[in-house]
Amino acid sequence: MTTRGALEGLTVIETAERVSGEYTGKLLADLGAEVVKVERPGGAPSRAMGPFAAGESTLFAYLNTNKKSVVLDLADGADRKVLDRLLARAHALIDDHDEGWCRAMGLTPERVSRAHPALVHALVTPFGQDAPESWQGARPINVIAAGGWAYHSPSETPADKPPLKGAGRFLSDYEAGIDAALAAMASLLRLRREGRGQFIDISEVDVQLNRIDCVLGRMLAGEAEPSDARTAYDMGGPGTSFACRDGHVFLLMTSRAHWQGLCALMGNPAWTRELREDWLEFDCTPPNVARFREHFTGWIAGQDKHPVTEAAQKAGVPMVPVQTANDLPHHEQFIHRGFFQQAVHPAFGEVSYPTAAYRMSATPVAVKAAAPRLGADQEDVLDAAS
Amino acid sequence: MPRPDRKGPLAGIRVIELTKVWAGPYAGKLLAHLGAEVIKIESRSNLDEMRAYGGVDIDAAPYFLSINQEILSVQVNMKTAEGLDLVKRMIAQSDIVIDNIRPGAMARSGLDYESLRAIKPDLIQCAIKMWGTDGPLGYQTGYAPCFAALSGLTALVGHEGETPRGMNIRYGDSTAGALAALACLAALHHRESTGEGQFIDLSAVEAMTSLVGDSLFAASVTGDVPRADGNVHPEMAPHGFYPCGESGWTSIAAANEAEWQALCGTLGAPALAADPRFETLADRLSNRAELDAELSALTRPHDTADLAERLRNAGVPAFKAMSSMDLCADAFLWGRDAFRMVSDHRNGSRPIIGPSWRISPEGPQVERGAPLLGEHNGYVYRELLGLSEGEMDDLIARKVID
Repeated sequence: MTTRGALEGLTVIETAERVSGEYTGKLLADLGAEVVKVERPGGAPSRAMGPFAAGESTLFAYLNTNKKSVVLDLADGADRKVLDRLLARAHALIDDHDEGWCRAMGLTPERVSRAHPALVHALVTPFGQDAPESWQGARPINVIAAGGWAYHSPSETPADKPPLKGAGRFLSDYEAGIDAALAAMASLLRLRREGRGQFIDISEVDVQLNRIDCVLGRMLAGEAEPSDARTAYDMGGPGTSFACRDGHVFLLMTSRAHWQGLCALMGNPAWTRELREDWLEFDCTPPNVARFREHFTGWIAGQDKHPVTEAAQKAGVPMVPVQTANDLPHHEQFIHRGFFQQAVHPAFGEVSYPTAAYRMSATPVAVKAAAPRLGADQEDVLDAAS
Repeated sequence: MPRPDRKGPLAGIRVIELTKVWAGPYAGKLLAHLGAEVIKIESRSNLDEMRAYGGVDIDAAPYFLSINQEILSVQVNMKTAEGLDLVKRMIAQSDIVIDNIRPGAMARSGLDYESLRAIKPDLIQCAIKMWGTDGPLGYQTGYAPCFAALSGLTALVGHEGETPRGMNIRYGDSTAGALAALACLAALHHRESTGEGQFIDLSAVEAMTSLVGDSLFAASVTGDVPRADGNVHPEMAPHGFYPCGESGWTSIAAANEAEWQALCGTLGAPALAADPRFETLADRLSNRAELDAELSALTRPHDTADLAERLRNAGVPAFKAMSSMDLCADAFLWGRDAFRMVSDHRNGSRPIIGPSWRISPEGPQVERGAPLLGEHNGYVYRELLGLSEGEMDDLIARKVID
C-alpha cells in the first residue's frame, strides 16, 4: 500500500487558535498536506485544555496529528516577517481569529491577499466577516444556539427543558472545520490550475444552518410553518432512545413491516393488539405513540442492548444500540474498516486514534505522526523558509 | 467542456450523482455550490424520494427544492441496458461519481469501480453507505438517527441523568454528505498530482463518530467513558442555557473571572458575585447545580434577545437559542446571504439556505433553483454525448429517456 497522502505537496500554515480552525488543519494534515502550526510563545491554547494525561492535553494530541509546530510571536516584528516568509512558500493559510486580532497582526483578508496573491486564505469565525464585534467572541454553545440546532435538540423536548449544546464541547467547530477544509481544497485546486489565491470566509453559524437545509428551507419558502415550537424540526412517530438493562437502544419505526417484526420479537404480547396493524402509517397519533412507548418501555428495560438489537435487525426492525466509547473499538464493523488506528504516543503510550469516515483506496488517511512538541520543527521549517 | 456559465473554484469539474434523499444529494449540492457541474441521473420510474415528499408535483417538491440548487437533471431509465450504457458514456466524460443507493446496487448495474475505471481510468468514485460498502454489516441500511446512535454521538447528547436522546432526529445525513464532498476534493488533488483516480468508501456511521473524535480519543487515553452531560463544560461555569420568560433561552458561556463579574454586573446581582460558593472558577465548577439555579431565577424576567445582547456588550459570550421562527426572520442572516433567493420554475424565485462560504474574488454563483425532472436532457444528450435530435426522440419514444 502506498503511504502517499491525497494532499501531498501542499503546504498549509495554521495560525488558528480555536478548535474550528485547528480541526480544519487536522483534516488537511491527515489527508497528507504539510500543515505548519504557528504557536504563540508558551504554546497553543488547546495545549492547556483537558482532559489531561501524563501532564499533556489529550485534546491537543487529537487535534494536531500529522502537523508540524513552530513558535512565533506574531506581535513581534521580526517573527511576523518570518510568518510572511512561511506564507510566501505556502499554498494556504488557515485562521480563525476575530477582526481585532487580524488587524493587530496584519492578517486581515486585504493585507494577506495583497502580500500573497497566490495564497488560499481561509478564515473561520462564528458569524463570518463583518459580524458585530461583540458577536465575534461566540463560543460553540453560542454558535449552536444561533444556528437553531440547540433549540430543537433533542427531538420532542418539552418547553421547560433547556436546549442542548450537542455532543462534547466542539460539535459546531467540527462541522465548520469540514466546510472550511472543503472550500479551501476547492480553492487550492483552482490555485494549482490558475496560480491565483482566494479569500474564504466561513461562518460557523451558516454551517449549522446549511446542515438543516431541507427542513428550514421549507419554512423559509413558506411551505412549512416556522414557529417557536421546540418540536419544529421533528418528524413525529415513536422513534427515540429507550433505556434497556445494560444501556440504551434507539428504535425507529415507520412501517407495518417494522411493527410486525417488533411484535414478533416481543412474542406478540396482548397489548400490541390495542394498535392497528398499520398504525405507523395511518394512525400514528400522539396518544398511540404514548401508548406504544408505555408498554415498550417496560419490555425493553429487561433486554440487553446488543442481543436485542441483533435480533431486531434480523426481524427487519431498525433498532440499534446507543453505542458508547466502550462499545466502538470492539465493534466488528469499525474493526473491519480500521476506523480506530492503534499507535504509540510519546506521552500516553498505546492509544487509539479515531480516523476518518472515508476509506480512500489510493490515499488512505493515517496518523503518521503524533501531535508535535512545542516548536518541534522550528529549525527545519524556518531554515526552509529563509 | 462543462457549461461555461459556472464560476467558482470547481469550475470545470463534472460530477455525476446517483443519489437519493439527503446525504448523497447534499454532497452534490456542496460541490455545485463550489462551482462544479453536477448532473443528477433521474428517472420517472426510479425517483429520488424527495421529489415525492410533501406534495404531488414531482417538479415542485419542497424537500427536493430545498436541497438541489444548481444541480442539472438528466432522465435515464437504468433498468434498460441502453440506459446503463448512456450513463457510462456520461461517466466517461466526468471527474467524479457519487452514489448513496442501496449497498450492492451499483455493482449489479455494472457501475462498480473496477468496471467504471475501464471506461474512465482516472475516475473518482464515492459511495456513501450507512456502514460503508463491505464488511460484516456492509449490507445494512438505515436512517440518520440510527447512524447517530451507532456512532457514539447520541450517547453524548441528553439532559443530565436522563436517557440520552441525541441531537434532533434530522441530524446526520447532511454531515455525511459534507464529508463525502470533502473526500472527493482530496481525491481530485491526488489526481492532479499523480493522474490517479480512486474509490472512496464512506460510512455515514463513522461520519457521526468523527464528530466526537476528541471524546473517544480522550477515553482511549484516560479510560473515562464520556456520557451525556446536558450542557456541562469541564472548564467553564456558568455554561448552559438559561430561561427568559415563558419559552426563551439564552446560551451563556463564562470562562474566566472577568466574564463572571460582567455577568453578575449585567444581571444586577452583586450578591451572586460575592457569594462564597461561586468565588472562583473552581468553586463555580464544583457548585454548578446551585449556580445554574440561582442564575435561572435571575435571567427568567428578561427578554431573551435583549439580555443576550447586553451580556455580549459587557463581554460575556451569549446568544439566544434561535427557534425556526427567529431564524427565518433574522435580518443579519438575510443580510449576509445566509438565506438568499434562487430561480424557481413555479414562483419565479425561492428562498434557500446559502452555502457557509463567501469566496472572493471570483466566487461561485448560487442562483439557479433545483431542476425540473429532465430539465437538462438536451444539454447532456445533445451537447455532452453528441446525439442527434432524432436519436434523442427515439430514446424518449422507447422510454430509455424516461
